[in-house]
Amino acid sequence: MSAALSTMRHVRGFDLAKPFGLGMVVLLMLPLVLLPLASIFIFGTSSGLGSFWAALTTPDAVFALKLSVVTSFYATIFNVVFGVLAAYVLSRYMFFGRTALIVTISLPTAIPTAVAGFALLLLWGKYGLIGKFLSEDHQIMFTPYAIILANIFVTFPLAFGVLMSVFETMDKSLEEASATIGATRWQTFWHVTLPSLRGAIATGALLTFARAIGEFGSTILVSGNLAGATQTAPLYIFAKFNEGQVEAANAVAIVLALFSFFIFSILFFARDWLETK
Amino acid sequence: MRPMQVRDKEGEGFDAPADGERAASVAAASVRSLSKSFKAARVLADVSFDVGEGEALVLLGASGSGKTTILRIIAGLERPDAGSVHLHGRDVTELPARERGVGVIFQSYALFPRMRVEENIAYGLRIRGRRRREIKEKVEELLDLVNLKEHRKKFPSQLSGGQQQRVAIARTLAYEPQVLLFDEPFGALDAQTRVHLRREIRALLRKINVPAVFITHDQEEALELGDRIAVLHAGHLEQVGTPEEVYNRPETEYVATFLGAANLLLGVAGGGRVELGTVSLEAGAEAARFREGQSVKLVFRPEDVCLSIEGALPEGCRRLTNGVVEEKHFVGAYERLTVRLDLVARQPTEGEPPLYNVTINTPEKHLGVPIFVTRPKPEATATALHVGDRVAVGLTVFRVLPNFPLASERASSVLDTKGKR
Repeated sequence: MSAALSTMRHVRGFDLAKPFGLGMVVLLMLPLVLLPLASIFIFGTSSGLGSFWAALTTPDAVFALKLSVVTSFYATIFNVVFGVLAAYVLSRYMFFGRTALIVTISLPTAIPTAVAGFALLLLWGKYGLIGKFLSEDHQIMFTPYAIILANIFVTFPLAFGVLMSVFETMDKSLEEASATIGATRWQTFWHVTLPSLRGAIATGALLTFARAIGEFGSTILVSGNLAGATQTAPLYIFAKFNEGQVEAANAVAIVLALFSFFIFSILFFARDWLETK
Repeated sequence: MRPMQVRDKEGEGFDAPADGERAASVAAASVRSLSKSFKAARVLADVSFDVGEGEALVLLGASGSGKTTILRIIAGLERPDAGSVHLHGRDVTELPARERGVGVIFQSYALFPRMRVEENIAYGLRIRGRRRREIKEKVEELLDLVNLKEHRKKFPSQLSGGQQQRVAIARTLAYEPQVLLFDEPFGALDAQTRVHLRREIRALLRKINVPAVFITHDQEEALELGDRIAVLHAGHLEQVGTPEEVYNRPETEYVATFLGAANLLLGVAGGGRVELGTVSLEAGAEAARFREGQSVKLVFRPEDVCLSIEGALPEGCRRLTNGVVEEKHFVGAYERLTVRLDLVARQPTEGEPPLYNVTINTPEKHLGVPIFVTRPKPEATATALHVGDRVAVGLTVFRVLPNFPLASERASSVLDTKGKR
C-alpha cells in the first residue's frame, strides 16, 4: 500500500504546470472579465445609492428598460413556438433541401448584427423591397416591432440550435411506442415529445431572452433610437454615454449586468433540474 | 378488437395447437411474402409465416438477419416493399401503427420517463378518451397482473429492468392488443435475471393468452420461449418449426449450426446410404431424398455421437467408423472430446467424375477428420476415455442435407458456432 503510494508520488512528482497555469488563467481573466464588471458597480455606486436610484428612475431610463424586456419577451415567445416547430419538422422528416434549410436557419449566428439590422432596413424600410408597398401608417421600421424583428433575426438560431440537438438525440422509440399504443401524431407530440423538451425549451428561452435584451448592433439601425419611444436599454447606455451622462448610463448598465448574471445562474445551476424534473 | 381473456394458468385456452388446427382457424397474425430493401441492401426476401392464437413465435437470427425489420413491419413502424401483414384475417398492411392494435415491447422498454408507472399503463386508455373510472379499474387489474401494485407511484427510472419490462407489457395490455411483439426483450439484462424473466413472461403469456412474437439472437432463449421458432438468415426464412423440430431436424446447414453445435461431414448420397470416403453409412429415408451421386452433408450434433472402447455400440446407434480420442475437456455439465475419425478419401475409379469427399489434409497433416463429441457426466464417469484411446463411433440421430457448392469452403470442417454443447 505505502509502496504503491510512494510510486504514485514519484510518477506524479511536483507538477510546475499546475500553479503556473492556474495563475496565468486567473491573471488573464481578471483584467478581461472580472475587473471591467467590477468597475461598473464601483463607479455606479461611487456617489451613493441615492444618486444611482435617481439616475435609474428617470422616465427615459425606465422606458428603455421596459422596452427591452417587452421586445425580448415577444422575441422569446416567437423563438420557442417556431423553434420547436422548425426543429420538429427538420428532425422528424427527411426531404430534399433539409440540410440547406438547417444551414439557412442557423446562418444569422455568423452574420454581424449591424449587417443584420442593415439588411432588415433594406427589406422593410420605407424604400425597401417590401417596405415600399406598405402604407405610411403601416411602416414597421423605427417602431418597437422592428426591434422585435431584429431580435428574432439575431436570436432564433440560438433557440433552434438548443431544440434541434435535443430532438436529434431523443430516443425515437418513445414516439414509436406512443404510436403503437394508438396515439395520433398530435397526442404523441403533446404527451410524449413535449415533456421531454421542457429543459431545452427553458434553456432556449433563457438564451434568447438574455441575448435579445442586450442586442445593440441591429436594434440601433432599425429602431430609430428615439428616447422614450424606440430606445432600448443598450441604446440608452450608448446615448447617455455620448451625451457625457456617465452616471445615467452606468445605472442602466448595472441593471442589465445584474439581469444577465441572474439568467446565467439559472442556466448554470438549474439546468440539471430542468432536464430531469 | 378481440377482447383479452385473463385465464387461469391451467385455463384450457392455451395448448400449442397442432399444425392442422392452426391452418383451419384464422391466424392471429400472419405475414405474406414480405420483402424489404434499404437502399441497395436487401433486408427481407419473401418471408411468410403465421402466428396462431395464443402462440409464442420466436424469430431467431443473427444481427442483420432482418428480424427487427419484420417486427417493425408488423407493428406498422416500417413499410414493406412487397407483401402483406394480416391480423386476425384483416389486411393491415396500409394501416398506420396507431390503428393496428399491436403491442410492442421495445428493447429499451420505451417507458415515458415523465409519467409514473400507473400513468404509463393508463396512457393507451387515456388517449382513447376512456372514462376515468374505467381507466382506474383497468390499471388496477393490470398492476395486479404484473405484480407492481406497490410501485405504482414510481417513475420508470426508479424501477429495475425487469420491473420496467413488466410496466411495458402492462402498458400494451391495457388496450387489449391483437398481438404482442417483443424486441430482444432480455437484451439489456444480466444473465441470471434473463433466465428468471423468461420464465415469468412465459407464465404471464399463458395466463393472458395473447399471441406473441419474440425476436432474439439467443438460441437458448428461443428454445425456451417459443412454441415455434422461425430461423432467419440474411433476410430469408430458413425454417419454421417447434423447438424440437428445429433443433433435431434442421432443414438447412445454417439452422443446424446456428442452433447449437453441429458436426458436418461431406459425402455422396446413393442407394439409401451416404458414402463418406471409404465409409458407407446406412441412412434410409434420410438419404433417399437425394438423387444417386448427389453431394450431401452429414449433419449431427456432438451429443448424438456414441463412443465405445470395446467396439460394440449400444442399441439404436448406427455405426459410422472408428476413431482416436485426440482431446478431452471437462466442461462442467458434460465432457467434451475431439475424436479423429478414420475417414479417408476414396479415389474415384476410372471414368468416374470427381467426387466431393472427406478432406484428409488438415493443417496438422493428420489423416482423418476431427469431430466434436459430448458425453453426459454419468457416461463419462462410467466408461472413462483417455487421449489416444481407439473407439468405435456411431450416431443415434443425424440429418443428411444437400451440399451447396458455395458452402464448399467450409466443407468437412467441424463448425462449432457457440463454443458450447
